[in-house]
Amino acid sequence: MSGELLFWLNLLVSVGIYTLLAVSLNLINGSAGMFHLGHHGFWALGAYAATWLTLNAASLPGPLLFVLSLLLAMAVAAIGGLTIGIPCLRLRGDYLAIATLGFGEIIRIAVQNSPEGFLGGSLGIKVPRILMEVTRATQVRFRLLMLAIVVALCALTLVVLRNFLRSSPGRRLLAVAQDETAAGLLGINPTRSKVLAFVLGSAVAGLAGGIYAHYMGGLDPKSFNFMEMVKMFLIIVLGGMGSLSGCVVGAFLVVVTEQLLNRTPEAIYSWWQVLFPLILALMIVFRPQGILGRREIMDVIRAWRRSPA
Amino acid sequence: MLDYLLNGLTLGAIFAFIALGYTMVYGIIKLINFAHGEFFMFGAFLGFFVLRDMGVERLPLPQPLPILLSYVVALTAASLGAGALAVLTERVAYRPVRRAGRIAALITAVCISLILQNLAVKAWGAKPQAYPQPREWVDVDALEGTSQANLYGVKRIETTEGGVVENEVRVVAAGEAIDDATRARLRAGGHERVYRQVLLDRGWTRGFVILALLLWAPVLWFLVKRTRMGKAMRAVSEDADAARLMGIDINRVISWTFFLGAFVAGVGGVAYCVSYGKVEPLTGFLPGMKAFIAAVIGGIGSIPGAIVGGLVLGTAESLIPYALREGLGWEAAFAWKDAIAFALLILILVFRPTGILGRAVREKV
Repeated sequence: MSGELLFWLNLLVSVGIYTLLAVSLNLINGSAGMFHLGHHGFWALGAYAATWLTLNAASLPGPLLFVLSLLLAMAVAAIGGLTIGIPCLRLRGDYLAIATLGFGEIIRIAVQNSPEGFLGGSLGIKVPRILMEVTRATQVRFRLLMLAIVVALCALTLVVLRNFLRSSPGRRLLAVAQDETAAGLLGINPTRSKVLAFVLGSAVAGLAGGIYAHYMGGLDPKSFNFMEMVKMFLIIVLGGMGSLSGCVVGAFLVVVTEQLLNRTPEAIYSWWQVLFPLILALMIVFRPQGILGRREIMDVIRAWRRSPA
Repeated sequence: MLDYLLNGLTLGAIFAFIALGYTMVYGIIKLINFAHGEFFMFGAFLGFFVLRDMGVERLPLPQPLPILLSYVVALTAASLGAGALAVLTERVAYRPVRRAGRIAALITAVCISLILQNLAVKAWGAKPQAYPQPREWVDVDALEGTSQANLYGVKRIETTEGGVVENEVRVVAAGEAIDDATRARLRAGGHERVYRQVLLDRGWTRGFVILALLLWAPVLWFLVKRTRMGKAMRAVSEDADAARLMGIDINRVISWTFFLGAFVAGVGGVAYCVSYGKVEPLTGFLPGMKAFIAAVIGGIGSIPGAIVGGLVLGTAESLIPYALREGLGWEAAFAWKDAIAFALLILILVFRPTGILGRAVREKV
């Protein structure tokens, strides 16, 4: 019974983490229209930054350390986004994709070659369970607490990003994504808009990384691989590029499918690795706008209510 | 130092083999064919099966003809197989998205790459397998002195289903002396002939790889610059719609380009796996990425550029860590060689996006 409960809690927390990753990727790829393939790098940056602080400031009380480590995760990922963003954002389309992919791989290689005492190297690293004492060391309570935190952070991120996209810098970003030259002629600085989106997106990916580190209790550099990147991409393509609530829908679909398949025998589960790129390719060919397109879930519900039955 | 330089050039030649396909496909349909590394891997696997199972080296011809022949057959199978897979992939996956925009095509290519990788895992297992090294099939009577390498005999075993499989068993260990008693023992065990590993020094492997590049480069150059199909390829790359109006069958030209690019990658696949001694479904991923970097360094779309870029990248990947280790005393420098390659890519993209030999194309507003 408790095993079943743990499975579903784990599933929901994973949906939350992937939602954070997807909305941040969506801001860069969907709203800003930059083809970015290195998001797993920012995710890893955040996860390792949070782990580093948790290990090196162990004297602080658990909840405070948790919050601080998440803030550091966001900051480090944002700085990473800025450093990579300024040189790379002059590139377009497929060149940008390859440069950012290269960046994501560099992060992974750097972590794998790090000294064992610093980031754990290729063997991975354990993250102290600082929230365990708060939850009096039961798995169910720990996962419930993480679920509450993830849901709250997802909601907060969604609201912040929605408001950002409706603000003046957000509208400028959308204008740049539609037509960079025209936006430039209107007096918008395209590079500044793109760097802003890139930094914001990487900060949210860093946040997802920080939560992931605390939730998993251990990191393996091999898990921040290109497959994960493609999975995030599948989420945003399924949900609809440029739609925030689409990310939630996409994350639900992908994570639930994966985790349910994970309970089937290995012979069936191993087909998932073939299946999900296939779904992505089919989506791109037959319904590139995804399930929701650029609309939000509320628009769909409203339109459906208004239409005569 | 010289050793590192030669190593770098060999690796660079292999990158160049793969980069040629990237560059030709990019030149003609502006698609970064992510799955190109998987064509390379597929070729390497076909070569693996030919070398391991076909027994070409058992042909009754004077040495070293059977060995050479076994490699010729393996290379041919690898090239043709990789070419066929490329044509099929283009037909099934890329043609439908050709009009859907470059990003959609690129995502499709990424997906195809993952699908092929994972299908290879399903078919051949995820574990790396030892790549067959050159070996000769020698008569037991011809053996004498002390054996330099392990000798293997072939044992036929009947399976429970009634079939017969051949298993290789080690009959003489390296360093063992061979006399009449040994020969008699081998005969008694049913081994009239045994496999003997041909110990090549690395100079041979390197020479072979670089020679193959030197032979292939002019052939490709000739195909692209001097044949009708080559002219059609250049026309399509210049302006596909105008080429169609001139009566060029674009689909045929594109298929042919994919075939040619993958054909050369197949050669690279076998060469790479022979030099590294193993093959696995992930074999194509990193060399594929590196070859793409090489194509960008040389100037994507340019055939001489792919060769120059490959050689530059291979040399840089070998000499830069060497310099860092010897100059700065940084022992771990070689573990970072992949990061160096990616950093080089980012630098080239930022400072000279057209590469060494590429030409600038103005973007129309």
